[in-house]
Order: sequence, then C-alpha cells, then structure tokens
Amino acid sequence: MHLTHELELFPDLAVTQMLFKDVRNAAELRQCAVEGKINGALINPTMLVHPFQVLVAANKAVNLHKVGKMKTRSLNSEIIFNLLPTNNISEAFKRFGCSDGDDSVLVVLVHNKDESLLLSDITARVSGRQVPVEEVSSLTDHGKIRKLFKVTQEEEKCGTLLDAVVCRMAIKDVI
Amino acid sequence: MAQEKSMAVPEFLSKAELIKQGAEARVYRAQFLGKPTIVKERFRKRYRHPVLDEKLTHRRTVQEVRSILRCRRAGISVPVVYFVDYTSHCIFLEDVVGSSTVRDHIASTQQSDSCKELVRLAQRVGQILSKMHDEDVIHGDLTTSNMLLRCGLEDGESELFLIDFGLSYISALPEDKGVDLYVLEKAFLSTHPNTEALFERLLKSYAASSKKSSAVLKKLDEVRLRGRKRSMVG
Ligand SMILES: Nc1ncnc2c1ncn2[C@@H]1O[C@H](COP(=O)(O)OP(=O)(O)O)[C@@H](O)[C@H]1O
Ligand SMILES: [Mg+2]
Repeated sequence: MHLTHELELFPDLAVTQMLFKDVRNAAELRQCAVEGKINGALINPTMLVHPFQVLVAANKAVNLHKVGKMKTRSLNSEIIFNLLPTNNISEAFKRFGCSDGDDSVLVVLVHNKDESLLLSDITARVSGRQVPVEEVSSLTDHGKIRKLFKVTQEEEKCGTLLDAVVCRMAIKDVI
Repeated sequence: MAQEKSMAVPEFLSKAELIKQGAEARVYRAQFLGKPTIVKERFRKRYRHPVLDEKLTHRRTVQEVRSILRCRRAGISVPVVYFVDYTSHCIFLEDVVGSSTVRDHIASTQQSDSCKELVRLAQRVGQILSKMHDEDVIHGDLTTSNMLLRCGLEDGESELFLIDFGLSYISALPEDKGVDLYVLEKAFLSTHPNTEALFERLLKSYAASSKKSSAVLKKLDEVRLRGRKRSMVG
C-alpha cells in the first residue's frame, strides 16, 4: 500500500509515502511530528495531484540539506516548503501541511534505503484507514490547486496539471 | 552538514548516458524520480574569469528555466522542468521520448520527397514561433536542432516542442524578434539546402498567426539587408 522510491541522486536514501483516509486523530499526529515521534512530513493530500509531486519536493529538500542551503529548519519542513509555488514558509504549512481537522493525511518519510523502516509504527499511531498511495488522485482538489499555482487553461492544453505544478515547484527560486 | 559541494549530481551523471557534448553544455539521458529524463549540465569555461564564468553560467540556467515556464503558460509545448541544481548548473528535464529533432526529420523527409508533410511542419513552426514572440520570449538560438517532433500515438497528429532556451530573454521589440527569425533563416537555409520556398511558407504562417507580425517581418527585411551589406564590405 505504501510507495517507496529510491532517490537516484542519493542512492543510499529512499522516500516512502503512506496514505490514510477517514483519519480521526490528525491533531494528535501533528503533535507526534512536532515531538519527533513521527520522523516524517505530514501532508494534506487534497493539495496533491500525484505522488510524483512529493518525490520532486523530497529530492529537492535532500539536495539542499546536503549542501546546507535549506530555507527551513528541518528536512521534513523543507519538503512541505518545496510543495508551495512561492517562498512563504507559513503559507506552505497552511496549504500543504496537515491541519488538526483533516480527515486524510499523507505521510512522507525519508530514510536510509537499508534501514528496516517500521511502517507499523506509523500505522499504529493513525486512527484511520490506510489506502494505496495512488488513491491520492481521488482526493485531489483540482480547483484549489489550479488557483494556488495560477495554472492557465492554455497550459493544460499542452500538458497535465501535474506538469504545471511540478514545473513551478522546481523553479520557484528564480521566479 | 557544512557548506560543502555535494558530489551527488556529478556522481549520478558519471553513470548516465551522454548524448551530446556541446561547447557550453553536456546533455545526458537518465532515469530520475522514476521518469525518463534529460539532464543538461553547463560546465565551466576555463578561459573565462571564474567569477564571471559562474555568473554567466548561472544566468543561462536561470534564463532557460524561466523561459520554459513562460512558454508553458502560453500553451507552447516545452519539456517540463523536474529539478534544477544551481551548484552544478544542471537542469533536469522531461525527456521527450520518441522524438527526433526537426533537423533530422527534415533531412530524412527531404530524401523521401514528401513535400506536403514538410510544408505542414514549416507552417506549424511558424505558428509556434509567433505564439512564442507574442509572449515576448526571444529564443536566441533558433535552429532546427532546437525543435523536437514527436509523432502522435493515436490521432497521428505530431507534437512540436521547443528546447534549448539558454540564450533566451524577454523583449517586446520587433527588432529582437526579427533578429530571432533571421538567426533561424540563416541556420535553416544552411542546414537544409534548397529550402527557400519551404522557409517562405514558415514565414507566411508566422505572419498569419499574429497581429504583431508585420512589424517583426519588416525588421527581418532590414536585418537581412544589413547582413548583406556587411558581407559585401567584409
Ligand atoms: N527534453 C528533451 N527530450 C529529448 N531530447 C532532448 C531534450 N533536450 C535535448 N534533447 C536532445 O539533446 C540535444 C541537445 O540539447 P540542447 O538543449 O539543444 O543543448 P545544446 O545547448 O548543447 O544544443 C537536442 O538537439 C536533442 O537532440
Ligand atoms: Mg541545441
């Protein structure tokens, strides 16, 4: 159900995504993340078009982490920051971070490839139903995303909404 | 972790497939985040002052990705940017899988003598360039190698992509757009012999696709004239 991708640029690292629906304890999960009991980024999946979007954000975060050029204080918050098309950190958390009342959450973990990840540690903490990560597209709020990323109709004629989102994320530093 | 230079990208590229070694950049093909990807790496020029070199290389990288977004917004097909590393000056782009350059396409079609198709292609190029100029994007290096053609899967309609925006900039001046076309004309006619008529069709379609085209084509005429005078003197 989870999705793990080994980062081509950082061969010892992998990114694992887990998606939960019908979540009843989002506030508690957020607290766990703050306290480090969950060492991952908690994301609001309605702002995601596809798991690829998260990979792009995670890869960029790891890269900046390695060279000491992150804009935020931790790798997990950098992932959330990278999902936004602009450079406002609190806005990034508002839009892409998990909020107390959310009933779905996507957990992103960056870990050593060989490290035996205890996914059960995460599932045990979530009061909710784990579903395949690909189902994220059934939760997507397309309207909100189009508005936030300022995607034009013209643009969606030559590419997908995912293309539009990824392109803006990748180059936001110079826009 | 300290402000060290990461070796991640160079190490990754050492295992990638080099597909072009140019004067300014190396182009690689690899798998990245699970997708077929083109990596364009701008390298140092030893003869340039290091600080100036760094600045110029950075600027090219920035110009390239900015123009890509500007074109995409206008609905012009250009590869998606997946990732940019400003330390190694690398752009990770969508690989337009199954495409060939317009240059190769024209060369092979010219041999098989399918004129009608080439005329249609020239018209599409004219259209897309007028759209690009309407967005005030000046490409700066228009050649048929910097256009890709991907044959459509279902409908048979093929898709035309613009690439290589490293020398691009933003300008609304008809003069700049005229020079852009002049650069293409020179490259086009020297790469593809006996295509004067074909290039005329391209310009005709450019003219028909935008309200601003007449001022640009007037400038193109002036630039041509200047070019001729210069070659008479020099
Ligand atoms: N996104 C892409 N998809 C497929 N092929 C590409 C792509 N980008 C570049 N290429 C191939 O690599 C060649 C060189 O790329 P280009 O960006 O034009 O670099 P250069 O500045 O060296 O000319 C192109 O002519 C094309 O054949
Ligand atoms: Mg080129």
